[in-house]
Amino acid sequence: MAEPIIMPRQGQSVESCILTEWKVNVGDQVAEGDILAVIETDKASFDLESTTSGSVLALFWEPDDDVPVLANVAVIGNEGDDFEEFRPDSDSTASEPTPTADASNTAPVPQTEAQQSTSVAASSVPVSVSSGGISAGVSPRARKLAFRHGIDPETLEGSGPNGRVIERDVEAVASGRPRLSASAVTQARNGMEPPLRGKGLAGMALSSDMKEPGAIEGAKVEPVKGIRKLVAERMIQSLQTSAQLTLNAHFELTAVQAYRKARVEAGKSKISINDLIAYAQIQALGAHPEMNAHFLGNRFAVFEKVHLGIAVDSPRGLMVPVVKDASDLSLEALSAEIKKLAIACREGTIQPDDLSGGSCTLTNLGMLGVSTFTPVLNIPEVAILGVGGIELKPKRLESGEIEYADFLPLSLTIDHQAVDGAPAALFLQTLISQLEENPGQPLTTSNE
Amino acid sequence: MKYDFAVIGAGPAGYIAAKKAASAGKKVLLVEKKKLGGVCLNEGCVPSKTLLQAAKTYRHAKHGSIFGVEVEGVRFDFPKAHQHKNNVMNKMRDGIAGLMKKYKVEVVEGEAKLLPNSQIEIDGETHEATDILLCTGSSPAIPPIPGVDLEHVVDSTGILNRESLPDHLVVVGGGVIGCEFACMYASVGVKVTVLEAMSEICPNLDPEVSESLREGLTKKGVTFTLGAKVESISADKVTYADESGSKEIESDLVLVATGRRPNTNDLGLEELGLDIEPRGGVRVDTRGATNIPGLWAAGDVTGRAWLAHAASRMAEVVVNNITGRKDHMRYDTMPAVVYTSPEVAVVGLTKEEAEERGIKVKVGRIPMAINARYIAENPDETGFCKVVLEADSRKLLGVHMVGGACSEMIFGATAMLETELREEEIEEIVFPHPTTSEIIKDVFMAVR
Repeated sequence: MAEPIIMPRQGQSVESCILTEWKVNVGDQVAEGDILAVIETDKASFDLESTTSGSVLALFWEPDDDVPVLANVAVIGNEGDDFEEFRPDSDSTASEPTPTADASNTAPVPQTEAQQSTSVAASSVPVSVSSGGISAGVSPRARKLAFRHGIDPETLEGSGPNGRVIERDVEAVASGRPRLSASAVTQARNGMEPPLRGKGLAGMALSSDMKEPGAIEGAKVEPVKGIRKLVAERMIQSLQTSAQLTLNAHFELTAVQAYRKARVEAGKSKISINDLIAYAQIQALGAHPEMNAHFLGNRFAVFEKVHLGIAVDSPRGLMVPVVKDASDLSLEALSAEIKKLAIACREGTIQPDDLSGGSCTLTNLGMLGVSTFTPVLNIPEVAILGVGGIELKPKRLESGEIEYADFLPLSLTIDHQAVDGAPAALFLQTLISQLEENPGQPLTTSNE
Repeated sequence: MKYDFAVIGAGPAGYIAAKKAASAGKKVLLVEKKKLGGVCLNEGCVPSKTLLQAAKTYRHAKHGSIFGVEVEGVRFDFPKAHQHKNNVMNKMRDGIAGLMKKYKVEVVEGEAKLLPNSQIEIDGETHEATDILLCTGSSPAIPPIPGVDLEHVVDSTGILNRESLPDHLVVVGGGVIGCEFACMYASVGVKVTVLEAMSEICPNLDPEVSESLREGLTKKGVTFTLGAKVESISADKVTYADESGSKEIESDLVLVATGRRPNTNDLGLEELGLDIEPRGGVRVDTRGATNIPGLWAAGDVTGRAWLAHAASRMAEVVVNNITGRKDHMRYDTMPAVVYTSPEVAVVGLTKEEAEERGIKVKVGRIPMAINARYIAENPDETGFCKVVLEADSRKLLGVHMVGGACSEMIFGATAMLETELREEEIEEIVFPHPTTSEIIKDVFMAVR
């Protein structure tokens, strides 16, 4: 019995997932739990596992397709089972312009036809031509363009599937593109493009001149996809829709260092400097709730509790897991939670629901040798705290003497639409006095 | 005087450039301090090939009995051969002079010195040119061997003026020039010994080609001593050292053929700040442009290729770039020939060079002796044809031949390389039968 594999729902807010890569081919034998594909939400990437065992009968989507959750992505069953009933409606792809959307509107995209339109697959998966003729013909668009330029399309060397003359072949002739060497023609059929002038005889394009469409000389060009694409969109959206202002300050590390040392001496668990800053940030946000908010244009959402986002560098790109109800946690629990989330991000096992719902964010580049930087807001949050690297600075003692001490730079970016500079500065003051005077302690006086 | 284009040196780069630029409407100055035609016509290719043909004719007459041609009293008249050589050179020089006149190129005899701001001084007179091509060629490089300045020690220029045959010619250096003179002298009955310092002659060729050439010349009577380092030359002896120690051979004529060096002295290049490579050649890009705007270089002075036809092509490339047509050098498709008997003709990459570039190759090799025309005409010669193909695409990467007059058919292989033909296309080319050129078609059946 053939069984469909569906795109699982990855958290409440996820409407669709990008199918990044198939790990199986049609005809492969799979067991329950085998990895079929890699999928990505706007926050992270996951493995899609088989929920049954058998032979892979159909794969309905192409890599990079945006697949709606709960849609059928594949069918597993016995060889010869009918799987057509599971083919997803073409309507379900209509919301987003995906590579498959323009290929056909009468039927869901059949696998082979979609492969014809992609470059590499065309050569590896030969498509049978029913006519069996010498020429694969001329596409209607190519014929129209050729007519306009007075070119006989039948005489052209086609670069489409099976040598079909397509629009770009006519364009090449019409625009005086170079002739292709025998070896370059093969590459053109595989989707590579010649430059305006090749390096061969009288500008003939050689195989070494052929480039992937959109290639740039001296550079490896790759499409922007997955998490990178989403980070890019969110970053530019952040900078274009908010009024970001960064305030810089330093705090003296002496108390934090003493606190950590005392913990070790007392045989307690290790707490990082970053954990102590996160803890102090949560305390200070409690005292300055206007910083623990979302700015929604015509509304503010000020959160009762702190849900602290922690920026994590993962192999898949920047991720911001959120410690939910962080203001309810002890220092030790906070430290453990941050560690757990960071590991999950790096290992790719983070759940989408752990990647949303933050009210304020902490980002630390100090361990990477950065002295200070301007964090970009994780909108609609109104504040993000950045931590730089340790600096040795002189300080004046009460006696008037000068002494050296370790300091850490903090950079607080706020959305000036929602918060003014002075309240933000007060928040920083609270934060710094916590770190310099009572690291690892709850804020005793909520108001001075 | 002010010119559009000034050419310094009237060798195979210079006169070709002058003619081409003049035919494109440029006002051209051609400066030569010796004779029109340069080393190629006066001290190199042309005279040596004339003498080689004289030697070949003698050998054919002497060894004609296999064809049923019995000749008695065959005698080699060396002065007469020189006369023919001189006639050929005069004819060719007149041809060049006529060509320059026809294209209205101003030819000036004298030594040129480059000055700043596109100025050239010729024997005290200053000229100006928008573009200047430096093609001053090369000279024999003479190693500092004691006795090298003795009267009976000559370089490739000096030996061409010797009109008497020695008893024992010792050739120092088993490169292309050394092999050609060894072949010529051995063909007319002179005892010839070649001393080569490396472990094989012509180390720049495919190793199998070098070996086959050495065997072919050995059959003609040339003695090769490999790994031999010449220590000194006296009036009647050459002393060299090889693995087994120091040795002496008697000799009444010594040819020093240990390479050539670019002619860059006394031209004012250093004062101009021209970029010279560590090995002595003028540094140029693939268009022939130097680091000084408007100053170009072509031929042996660049220290590249060391071939007359390469020099001519470099000159064409420069003129094309000056006259607005994009062009550049493609050294990978530059054919090279050794005009010995048997001849060597090669173009493209050797197996070793291709593998060094990380290309997976397939190689095919067949003996010339399978070719009907070849064994009919060269009953006493061996030789082979070898092709190097890119493994996956079966694209031709190189053709390497030893035997007969293979220099006359290497251009066909060059055209195949320039257009990146693959085995598939070459199979469809018709080769006339019976010709030696069929070997290039037949060799593909040996590819594995």
